Amino acid sequence: MSTDTRALVATESSTLELAGGGLVALSLLLVVGGLVGLFGVVPVGATVAGVPFATLLGAGLLVLGAGVLGIGAASRTGLVATDPSRSAGLLAGGVFALFGLVVGGLVGAFALGLATAWPVTALLVGVGAGAATVLPREDLGSTLVPGSVAVVSGLTMLSGLVGPGWSWPIGDLSATLYAEVAIPLLAAVAGLLAAWTAAKAYGGFGSRGRQLGAYLLIGANAAWMAALLVGLVAFVLMKGFAPMTRGIRYGLFVQPWTWFYFPPIEEYVVISGPVIWFYWPFVMEGVALTNDINGVLPAIVGTFWLVLGAVTFAVPLGVGAAVFLTEYAEQGRFTGLVEVSTNGLWSTPSIVYGLFGLAFLVPRLGNTTSILAGQLVLGFMLLPLVVITSREALKSVPDAYRDASAALGVSKWETIKSVVLPAALPGVITGIILGVGRIAGETAPILLVMVSDPFPSAAARVVQGSFHFTGSFPFVAAPTIDLVQSSSALPYQLYAVISAGLDQNMAFAWGTALVLLLVVLSFYAVGIASRVYFRRKLNQ
Amino acid sequence: MSTHTSRLDRVRDADHGLKLVGSVGGVTIAAALVAFLVAPALTLYPLLAFVAVIGYGWLRYQESTARFLMFLTTVSTVLILGLITVYLLIRSFPAFGELGIDMFTGTEYGAAGYSLVPMIWGTLLTTLIAMLIAGPLGIAGALFLAEIAPGWVRELLKPAVEVLAGIPSIVYGFLGLVVLSQYLFDQFDMPVFGSLLAVGLVVGVMALPTVISVAEDAITSVPDSMKDGSLALGATDWQTIKSVTVPTSFSGVSAAVILGVGRAVGETMAATVILANIADLPDPLYDVFGNTVTLTSLIASQYGNASGLQMSVLFAAGVVLFVTVMTLSIGSQYVEVRMERKLGGRQ
Repeated sequence: MSTDTRALVATESSTLELAGGGLVALSLLLVVGGLVGLFGVVPVGATVAGVPFATLLGAGLLVLGAGVLGIGAASRTGLVATDPSRSAGLLAGGVFALFGLVVGGLVGAFALGLATAWPVTALLVGVGAGAATVLPREDLGSTLVPGSVAVVSGLTMLSGLVGPGWSWPIGDLSATLYAEVAIPLLAAVAGLLAAWTAAKAYGGFGSRGRQLGAYLLIGANAAWMAALLVGLVAFVLMKGFAPMTRGIRYGLFVQPWTWFYFPPIEEYVVISGPVIWFYWPFVMEGVALTNDINGVLPAIVGTFWLVLGAVTFAVPLGVGAAVFLTEYAEQGRFTGLVEVSTNGLWSTPSIVYGLFGLAFLVPRLGNTTSILAGQLVLGFMLLPLVVITSREALKSVPDAYRDASAALGVSKWETIKSVVLPAALPGVITGIILGVGRIAGETAPILLVMVSDPFPSAAARVVQGSFHFTGSFPFVAAPTIDLVQSSSALPYQLYAVISAGLDQNMAFAWGTALVLLLVVLSFYAVGIASRVYFRRKLNQ
Repeated sequence: MSTHTSRLDRVRDADHGLKLVGSVGGVTIAAALVAFLVAPALTLYPLLAFVAVIGYGWLRYQESTARFLMFLTTVSTVLILGLITVYLLIRSFPAFGELGIDMFTGTEYGAAGYSLVPMIWGTLLTTLIAMLIAGPLGIAGALFLAEIAPGWVRELLKPAVEVLAGIPSIVYGFLGLVVLSQYLFDQFDMPVFGSLLAVGLVVGVMALPTVISVAEDAITSVPDSMKDGSLALGATDWQTIKSVTVPTSFSGVSAAVILGVGRAVGETMAATVILANIADLPDPLYDVFGNTVTLTSLIASQYGNASGLQMSVLFAAGVVLFVTVMTLSIGSQYVEVRMERKLGGRQ
């Protein structure tokens, strides 16, 4: 959509673009400065380049506000050629009115001390801001409010009205606002409002300006989310890496591989070779007094069994239901009911699944918290995810495949088995992997049905014994599988650390969080990568 | 002629198979279920019978047996939902019977009685804060992904949103406790560690991916012809988004927000970990820096030492949650179906 209006507005608009671009840059700088101050990277009291940070922010806001007001006035008087609409529009008017409502209410209630009349000032300021935005021509309307907000907040900071040491108990709430938060917060909010307007001015107002303004805000929002994700993962990695990898030791040793008795020489023959020895205490140990470094092995083992059981339970059920719904069932009441229940199961809170497991499964499965109950409950949670994603995958198999197979006289079931399912398999598998990533991190349900010991020292022994020959009938002993025993799991382990008190266990908690995050994210990485791979292959 | 009869035979055979496997298999699996409900120790016998029937059917009438099995799996989704409903109601019945309306009128949770009002209020406040974040930011994010972002950015951001949804809730809760709650405690000079505001902010971030991905689906489902029409009239991209895309996908986008509310209401671990366990209403009511308990965190934090009536009250809290979320889920589906019908009609 690139009817570029720039060429039409001709040369002098470059002044406007320069000014507008400069203001956008300045306002974004203030937003960043505000965030930096808010997170305490640079405290408000600190001095940057010989000037107090608060003064710097205040001066920046003042310049920004003056610039925004100036650009509006210049456009209105025709000094710079712009293309403004008749009004700034209801969207901008609404946003500024809402902003004014909040500011007016706060000022009325606390600065002026109006106990009951604060809604009046809120309404006055709100309506005023809205009217000042909507009534004048767009260039004036969209600059007036953000410009004056920036100027006023800049002045309050420069004059020291809100300076270091300033504090204000927020009404009757149990919190106090200090300058350390108020100043950068004000700078960030005013900067964001001004950035929107400055981007509009950069585009010469009008429809092109509004598009730039809106895209700036929406783009900033997306950038914020990306930054949030990267920040979260990086933060956990940074904090958890040291505790997780503490005490790793490895080496190459020459050790006996195998030995046997060799009758001719009547001696044992020992065959030795290099053995890699690897010891990673955090994932190979439990929690015990004798350990130098406590670890989360029991939780890892528990999560492994959980995921295995849930997948074994939910995948056949879910895929079967998806096949029936897409291939056999006629659209009708029954499919409608199934759809409603699947979506309902998908949004049922995890703690409700836990309660259900507690009431339904635990009394029937040995009356104790058990791995089996955890597996089933997580299987119930996985089921709707598998049904939904498998249905999507089956639906995306072109009908031509089915028709071609049917035309060859192949029966429906054979068609499904040898044509439809293989074609849908990548989508189904991707869905399962992503679903597993989701349930592997669930805490609430297993809290109620699976765990007992918050800090287990040893992993649950699910498989006991091994295949071996015996002297009595039937001469072979099989391992027994004991799923009716409680076990820990990674997400629960993290919860257990937190509820045990973080003071002494901080490092252990960060390490656990990192292991959990790595396990879950690796499921996601595999799922997403396989989806990308199969999609590429399909498009070839 | 002969082919005709043989085909007829086959159909008859299959029909016979479906009837046989269906009836015997149905009876045995129903018996297994009943046995699991009343006498779990006896479940194995009908289950073995079921397996035997299915094994025989698989060898003799594979087509019908497969169909029957898939029908059973489909029924299982409805069955599970039904079982959840029934068991929650059964276990919460004592609370509803004994306390009745008191559960929703009093304000005390403790010796004086078990009122769920503080928890409902806590859930309401945290959900409100969460949706103030997840609603607008989620819709803006969906617009960015669906309409604005260049191809490669979309390829990167869409998986990123999925991963954001995949970070376990306990990790969010842990970060919320250690980082956000600590920050608020230090900077705002709060009397108690943990606050509804911190929970709301964290839950808002957690509900964000749900809103984004559902809203994005709705926005991309707007037919190109509608947008092209607007563009051909000389509207800018943003004007098209504002006046065509968003209004058309409005119902889908609201379904996304409703689902986001459902996620926020049901979020457990963040609230359990962050909130100081004070089961009183905050004073004043709108004190977002204060503490109360949410419905979810009540269950997670009390189930261990609850018994008798108090346990039943926890199940009642579960019923309130379940009904709320079910209503939201069905509501959002209704809205989505309406949107589909509308778009289908216009195309």
